[in-house]
Amino acid sequence: MSTSIKQGLGLLFMIVILGSCQDIQDEASFDLSYPAYFPEPHYQFGKNKLTKDGFELGKSLFYDPIVSRDSTISCSSCHFQGHAFADHNSTLSTGIDGLKGVRNSPAMFNLAWNTSFMWDGGINHIEVMPVAPITNHVEMDETMAKLVAKLRSNAKYNAYFKQVFGNNTEVDDQQILFVLAQFMSLLVSDNSRYDQFRKGLVEFDEEENAGYLIFKKYCTQCHAEPLFTDFSFRNNGLEFKNDDFGRQKVPLLDDDFMKFKVPSLRNVEMTYPYMHDGRFRTLKMVLDHYSTSLVPHENLDPSLKNAGQIGIPLSENDKEKLLVFLKTLNDYTFISNPLFGE
Amino acid sequence: MKYFNFIIVLIIFSVLGLSSCKKEETVTTKTSGDVGLDIEHVWGSAEEEFILNKEYTHPLTNDKMTFTIFRYYVSNLRLKSTDGTWFTQPDSYYIVDLGTDETFLSIPEVPGGEYTDIEVTFGVDSLHNVSGAQTGALAPSNSMFWSWNSGYIMLKAEGISPNSLTGNFIFHLGGFMGENKVQTTKTYNFGTTPLVIDGNREAEIHLVANPAKLWHSADNLATKSSMTIPGVIAKTMSSTFYNGIKFDHIHN
Ligand code: HEC
Ligand code: HEC
Repeated sequence: MSTSIKQGLGLLFMIVILGSCQDIQDEASFDLSYPAYFPEPHYQFGKNKLTKDGFELGKSLFYDPIVSRDSTISCSSCHFQGHAFADHNSTLSTGIDGLKGVRNSPAMFNLAWNTSFMWDGGINHIEVMPVAPITNHVEMDETMAKLVAKLRSNAKYNAYFKQVFGNNTEVDDQQILFVLAQFMSLLVSDNSRYDQFRKGLVEFDEEENAGYLIFKKYCTQCHAEPLFTDFSFRNNGLEFKNDDFGRQKVPLLDDDFMKFKVPSLRNVEMTYPYMHDGRFRTLKMVLDHYSTSLVPHENLDPSLKNAGQIGIPLSENDKEKLLVFLKTLNDYTFISNPLFGE
Repeated sequence: MKYFNFIIVLIIFSVLGLSSCKKEETVTTKTSGDVGLDIEHVWGSAEEEFILNKEYTHPLTNDKMTFTIFRYYVSNLRLKSTDGTWFTQPDSYYIVDLGTDETFLSIPEVPGGEYTDIEVTFGVDSLHNVSGAQTGALAPSNSMFWSWNSGYIMLKAEGISPNSLTGNFIFHLGGFMGENKVQTTKTYNFGTTPLVIDGNREAEIHLVANPAKLWHSADNLATKSSMTIPGVIAKTMSSTFYNGIKFDHIHN
């Protein structure tokens, strides 16, 4: 036997042994993908290893009422794919025992780019996000400890979790939160007419273009492209209602009075009603708010004051064009993608 | 002879290959041992034994208080060796819970040697308040986590009191950012005799905590019987309590 053959054989042997430690290859190719004009996602998964199985398990939990105390409410009860994972167009969502919350369910997409969660940004990480609805008494009213116990004693889930995390592990909070974060992070909406325009696949018509120009003039200070939010908190001049102080409760600063997270306007036509409490039923009402009904709160955002006037100067014609442009943000591929469906 | 060499090469390679599968290797020196950190709880200046479900009178506010829950985080334990270097316990998070008598914390596998100080963080470091889903003592299922305003509840004290207008009191103290951050790091020196770890003895460090100190600069229960958000009150109450935790003794 020549030395080179011997070395070759030895090497082969080593590769086989090393290879046996590696996870199955095609798992690795399952990844968060997005267009080149999107920024880097904020969530980088870290210790949470993204796999197809993990994503699928997260999806099962998202659609399964087992997560709630009495198995009546699932995440999808309030976050419906057909409305870009906003509620079924109700103003305030209905949770367990028919109880109502105080805020409108936001849509769910491009969450891996969110720097915080909830209308007031109180939640600082996508992985801990589900703890809030799961334990909220008017939403799912379950404890994390009981949910862990339920899933451990459920044969299907017990096996499913072991398939994802390994046979010598037991379901725990972190595993539940990891797979839900995998599902939520992969909800990418990037195929609206606007995206096709950005990719050079279509051209905007005259009205869309005119609307786009008005939008860039007055709206992108907050609803910044390409995600249509800059993730900041602003007071956009809504009337104070129902004791909802917005972000003020969070770090307890008065300057935060009535500041809410700038929502993305992707898919906005499908996510009515609008604002943190769903007070406006139509986009036309939203535009009327910006042009004529702003409340001059002391901390009203400066970009909503133009030439000493409060409000955005929009003619009825401007509003029509804006509405045409906003429709280009609908992503029909996203709301019908079977990868995200039940 | 040639074949013998070849087999040796194969064995070496396969051993290398196999060992590279192991995620981590634990280096355990022969003399390493566990250290116990025992936190004894006492009440007021008389320092009587503090337990749940027993009525105490607060020496300053005169409130009668019966505690039903008393739990708090202790983290990032470190031991200073006589040569000046520090042993930092990896993944060091505990909940001290008077409800389950978990007041004796075990620090496993401390390298053999002599130690002069222990460093303790009361509360949870800010990094772990912003790092997503955690396990063990930091799992949200311990109900020491605020879901609506992410962050750990560093200390929970609840109970009943005839002096409170509602009949009970609820203090969930926390907040990890800015000037009202609650977590506090303290170092306790053991004095003249060092703590010895040589694998042959049960080394223990004893601290004494006094829950009455929460109300050393706080309103009485008639004025304020609940606080469940971060802020200056949480900061004041937790710091009087943490600062009152003192070193008692060690034994080797
Ligand atoms: C009863 C209705 C209801 C249920 C059930 C529910 N949610 Fe929500 N969700 C809401 C409401 C309302 C908000 C906004 C709350 C706020 O801002 O205060 C929200 C906010 C969110 C957000 C934040 C989005 C953003 O842009 O900040 C995410 C993510 C989310 N929910 C995911 C989930 C998941 C995952 C589940 C299941 C574990 C779930 N929700 C169950 C009603 C619900
Ligand atoms: C100063 C920043 C700012 C500017 C400029 C701004 N918005 Fe907003 N927008 C917000 C904030 C903040 C909210 C959420 C407020 C709330 O819910 O309380 C919001 C909400 C909305 C919503 C509701 C979305 C939903 O899902 O509920 C629409 C639609 C909207 N804005 C459209 C526009 C348009 C169109 C323009 C330009 C004409 C514009 N905005 C300019 C900050 C801004």
